[in-house]
Amino acid sequence: MNWNWNWFYRMGSPRWFYESTSRWLPWLGALTVLLLASGLVWGLAFAPQDAKQGNSFRIIYLHVPASFLALAGYFLMAAAGAIGLIWKMKLSYMVMKCAAPLGAVLTFLALFTGAVWGKPTWGSYWVWDARVTSMLILLFLYMGVLALQYAFDSKDVANKASAILALVGTVNIPIIYKSVDWWFTLHQPATISFTEAPSMHPDMFQPLLVMILGFYCFYAVALILSVRVEILSRERKTSWVRGLVKQATHKNLGAE
Amino acid sequence: MNFQFDNVSGMLHMAGHGIYVWTAVLVTLALIAWLIINPLLQRRHVIEEIAQDVAREQLRQNASRESV
Repeated sequence: MNWNWNWFYRMGSPRWFYESTSRWLPWLGALTVLLLASGLVWGLAFAPQDAKQGNSFRIIYLHVPASFLALAGYFLMAAAGAIGLIWKMKLSYMVMKCAAPLGAVLTFLALFTGAVWGKPTWGSYWVWDARVTSMLILLFLYMGVLALQYAFDSKDVANKASAILALVGTVNIPIIYKSVDWWFTLHQPATISFTEAPSMHPDMFQPLLVMILGFYCFYAVALILSVRVEILSRERKTSWVRGLVKQATHKNLGAE
Repeated sequence: MNFQFDNVSGMLHMAGHGIYVWTAVLVTLALIAWLIINPLLQRRHVIEEIAQDVAREQLRQNASRESV
């Protein structure tokens, strides 16, 4: 069988990425705003309150989506690092580099929203519980990948080191998922599972689903925006970037 | 699907949990906004940088042409 790899190499082209995301971004951005706005209003004002936790449970609409993306983002970063190591794809390393700070912020957000949820629920902002501690390790892994990017003079060595750390760190991901089952912890078990029906009432679950989708779209927009900056910066000598800059500066002069 | 509070101030207070819920909401929205605005500002910065590079190269080219 003659497998056609053209699509794969085309996807690895920074120019292709830049030009196609120019077309997708407005739609993706509009979808993000729509999902996040409706999910937030639905969750904060219309979802029924929890019988045990009262209104503090509404933090779930931020905490669970942020945690989801903190974990999914780590997989994406590690996969991008692996693709970079195997196929030496420039674009893949750019994705890895941009995913690190984004994932770190989302992990911080998961920890922060967890802390303000913990106070009224557990009576404490912070506990050294298995889930919370393994998420803190995730934050350090993200910061490690980010730090390695700036620790070497050679871009190539920096990329390889970051990719290897990202790959080794994936060990932590199943630990985070399973932490609530393996250890006795304060953290409640997973709200959503792929194998079972949701344990939540549909009135509470539906806005959560909207928020998770909204966070996925937001993640895509934020990642694409920073990869595009990376592309412009690294490809600054190419004629297509020069052409783009010329167009952009002309537009600015016209507006002034 | 019903509005869960008596009025807007009831929603702000959330029976004592408002401070926690709204802190989480504000911090989340602020970070989300920052993650979008920051690359947009960086993009502008990079474009200006490249435009300056182009202008500088053109000046150098013109100068070398005149000296010939």
